[in-house]
Amino acid sequence: MLKYTIKRILYSVIILFFVMFIIYVLMYNMPMGYIETKARELASRPGATKSYAEWLADLNAQYGMNQGVVKGYLTWLKSALTGNWGDNWAWTIPVTQEFHNTVWYSFILGLVSFILEIIIAIPLGITAAKKQYSFTDYFTTVVSMICISMPTFFLATLLKYIFSVKLGWFDLSGMQGRDYMNLSEFGKFLDVAKHFVLPAVTLTIISIGSLMRYTRTNMLEVLNADYIRTARAKGVPEKRVINYHAFRNTLIPLVTTLGGSLPHLFAGALITETLFSIRGIGFASYNSMIQGDIPFIMFYLAFISILTLLGNLISDLLYAVVDPRVRLS
Amino acid sequence: MASYDLNEVLKKRAAQKEGMAAQTDGSLALDDVSRVKVLSPGRQVFKRFIRNRLAVCGSVILIIMFVFSFLGPFFYPYGQKQIFYKHDKQNVNYALAKENTAYNGYEIDASLPVERNIINAMNSNIKKMIEAGQDELTLPGEGVSYLIRKEIPSVYTLSTMESSLVCSAGNSVVKVGTYSMVGKKLEFSVDEIPGLADAAAKEVKGVSGSFTADGVEYQFTRGEKPKTYDISCEMNGIVYTGEKPGDGFEKALDTALSSGSSFAFEGKQYILDIKGSRTDVYEAGEPAAARVFTKYTLDTYESGVSLPDDFRALALMAAVSGDSFTCDGITYKTVPENEAIIILDEDGNEFAEFNSFSVRRYSGEDTMSYALKKAISAKVEEMLLADVKTDVMTAEIPLQEEDGSYMTDENGEFVLSETEMKITQRLAGEYVINCDQINFIIDIFASPSGTHVLGTDGDGFDVLARIMYGGRISLMVGFIVVLIETVLGVIMGGIAGYFGGWVDNLIMRLVDIFYCLPSLPIMIILGAMMDAIRLDTYIRLMVMMAALGLMGWAGVARMVRGQILSLREQEFMVATEATGIRIKARIFRHLVPNVMPQLIVIATMSLGGVIITESTLSYLGLGVKHPLATWGTIINSVSSASAMAHYAFIWIPVGLLICLTVIAFNFVGDGLRDAYDPKAKR
Repeated sequence: MLKYTIKRILYSVIILFFVMFIIYVLMYNMPMGYIETKARELASRPGATKSYAEWLADLNAQYGMNQGVVKGYLTWLKSALTGNWGDNWAWTIPVTQEFHNTVWYSFILGLVSFILEIIIAIPLGITAAKKQYSFTDYFTTVVSMICISMPTFFLATLLKYIFSVKLGWFDLSGMQGRDYMNLSEFGKFLDVAKHFVLPAVTLTIISIGSLMRYTRTNMLEVLNADYIRTARAKGVPEKRVINYHAFRNTLIPLVTTLGGSLPHLFAGALITETLFSIRGIGFASYNSMIQGDIPFIMFYLAFISILTLLGNLISDLLYAVVDPRVRLS
Repeated sequence: MASYDLNEVLKKRAAQKEGMAAQTDGSLALDDVSRVKVLSPGRQVFKRFIRNRLAVCGSVILIIMFVFSFLGPFFYPYGQKQIFYKHDKQNVNYALAKENTAYNGYEIDASLPVERNIINAMNSNIKKMIEAGQDELTLPGEGVSYLIRKEIPSVYTLSTMESSLVCSAGNSVVKVGTYSMVGKKLEFSVDEIPGLADAAAKEVKGVSGSFTADGVEYQFTRGEKPKTYDISCEMNGIVYTGEKPGDGFEKALDTALSSGSSFAFEGKQYILDIKGSRTDVYEAGEPAAARVFTKYTLDTYESGVSLPDDFRALALMAAVSGDSFTCDGITYKTVPENEAIIILDEDGNEFAEFNSFSVRRYSGEDTMSYALKKAISAKVEEMLLADVKTDVMTAEIPLQEEDGSYMTDENGEFVLSETEMKITQRLAGEYVINCDQINFIIDIFASPSGTHVLGTDGDGFDVLARIMYGGRISLMVGFIVVLIETVLGVIMGGIAGYFGGWVDNLIMRLVDIFYCLPSLPIMIILGAMMDAIRLDTYIRLMVMMAALGLMGWAGVARMVRGQILSLREQEFMVATEATGIRIKARIFRHLVPNVMPQLIVIATMSLGGVIITESTLSYLGLGVKHPLATWGTIINSVSSASAMAHYAFIWIPVGLLICLTVIAFNFVGDGLRDAYDPKAKR
């Protein structure tokens, strides 16, 4: 187990190395004179502490843009590994600080929708599987299909239109109400919570469909298994068959996938956060991408890649932990 | 020769046999071939597929969608970049009414030249005269002098007269002489003043100064030549420039100076130019009227008559003299009235009127009817009395056709209609009249109607047409990207699965890397980069499709490899090896077709995903660019909060269309999977 884990981690590191290399090549090939333009812009910004030449030298040193791709990449990697991710171009604060400022909003948003997703999707999926080919089953199938097929931006716009424009329950976007500063601590919390409702609902609806289908498929598989037939033949009450024998076995794949998606709670929801102007890491990275803010983009993409690899690792390890039949080698 | 169709004959024979068999036996044996209907694998899959209601539903939606977006544009009359215009009511500035304060000049005698600065200063001179209560103002000058005279209220004439300087009276500084330091000599330019040379020799030094000699104060300044000084003194009295007029002139001048007005002496007219303590006296000739100035504007009773400036000049001069005048062979009479001059034509009918309150169309054209002008000025007077800034009136103005032109009856007269007009005071004495007029404008955000089934968007494009063309691009992008994905995936997966070993290991690590690449952020970055270098829309589209395809092949490759790994061990592959078929053929002729079902399913399912990604990118403005329509850009055009709230008829249908298409692809994919592999059906 330990050997397997270490092997996987090493593999992940190698993959990460190449993923970051591809991204670096992409950044390296940004339109000509980009660094120069950026340095000039940064130097002419009010309150700029460095001159153009200093910025240029700084940026080139940071990203090794004046060297070849490979050498430059190694330079960047070296400074990144020593924890020096550079200054955010768009906000002129250290990248790590910007990360710290934003990631928790994303995490809260992700967590809330994750919990909602589990609460709604798993029971529905199980119900659909229990009554295969019934109306409930078809209904669930169609609903989950609609959820999967809904583009995030359309759903978000639709929710805004219904709940903000027509009903006026929520603000269109943003994280704070107009009189946020005059509220008490608890009032501030409630205000922010209210602004998180629509984004959380959007994220939940988007993710609910696939989990519902996944649950249903796995539950059906388990229900068709021999041990369920045996349990029924023994005369075990249907309730116990479903809730004890079937459900626990259905949980095995569910736990592994959900466990694997845990790291992604930190990744932020790029489109949703942008549409609702939630100052999470997704929104910040979107702005960075639009403005060509290389330090933050590099950081964010590295972060996301690490999260993806971590998710894969967790789900593989969980598989072995939850299901004792699985032996990792 | 009669034609002979073997197929037909065989069919007939079979039918005959069958008929005989049915007659003789009546029932079929259990193993009868005609009893068991054998279907080809393809037909079997098809049969299973059409039994799935959701899948059939999805297929129908897809077919409709394809017909709609690929054939629809051929039958739909509008293009995707066609801009629509309309005639619509707009509240415009219809007219401007103002109390004239500025005086306009008209030429009476074009042969008399008038200096430009005199004409430019007319308004201020007249203002000066009104303030001072003067009726006449002379503007003396050497050569030509001018005379402004108030003839009747608000009408002034400007006359020119020849003039020459006669004398200067009062205090004038006279140069006495030039003093030279070299010879200590004073050269007098007037009569010699005794003793002055000595006084100058004593006092003159430095740059300038003054000294007193015999009780008279002299000034000196540096002269033109070095070491010389100009000495001058102030003289009181009359200095003649030319010949002295006869006796008694000075007496007459004295009386004139005390009153400050011009005077006549010996049949000649003299005018004064008072400059502080000095007065220049000019001899002036007969004044000849050159221009006439008035603040009146001319309104004709019949609308649309344009009169030349000559007419105005003649009419004003006639009003001054009280005579009639002739213009273009017609004789007119003028009748002065309070703050107006009325002009009657030959029959004594009122023809036109000069007044100081002008009402004109906002563009400055004089096309409004007299009655309307009068109504507006009456209303403005009423407003002045009531002291209100805005008011509303109804008046008859020419009615417009649907296309913005004016409606006329059979006599060519304008058809009038009652229109509500709003009068607003803008400045003191200046009023703007607003009313609705039909204008030719771009038809933006038109609500759904017969001509535009889904309305028009913010650029005046027809939304339905754009949805059709957008569907083309969206579907095409989906297909091309999936094609790239599949081809790449099959090649890489096939090679990895077939060869195994280090090749497999290498390709699978590559798959891992591409799996790990965050595709949406990379697409956004690519979009921003393409924005930065202003790539052409069509090239963008290609780049986008290539990038999406490149990033999506990993899943296909993984699936193909897995399938091939298991297929490789089967007997038919051993047979291909034994018969020595080439490796390329083994992979692509024998292995890949066995993966086809899964491939079709995975491709169908990923089509939906690609369409969503493309529309998301276009929605963010980073995919296909504006004039080109895709479903994403159509929604993007109304993505601002206010447009989203007001023009739901644009984005809701498009969004539903995206949803519907993606759902349909997913249903079809599901149905295909179940049809290919009934055992896996859940």
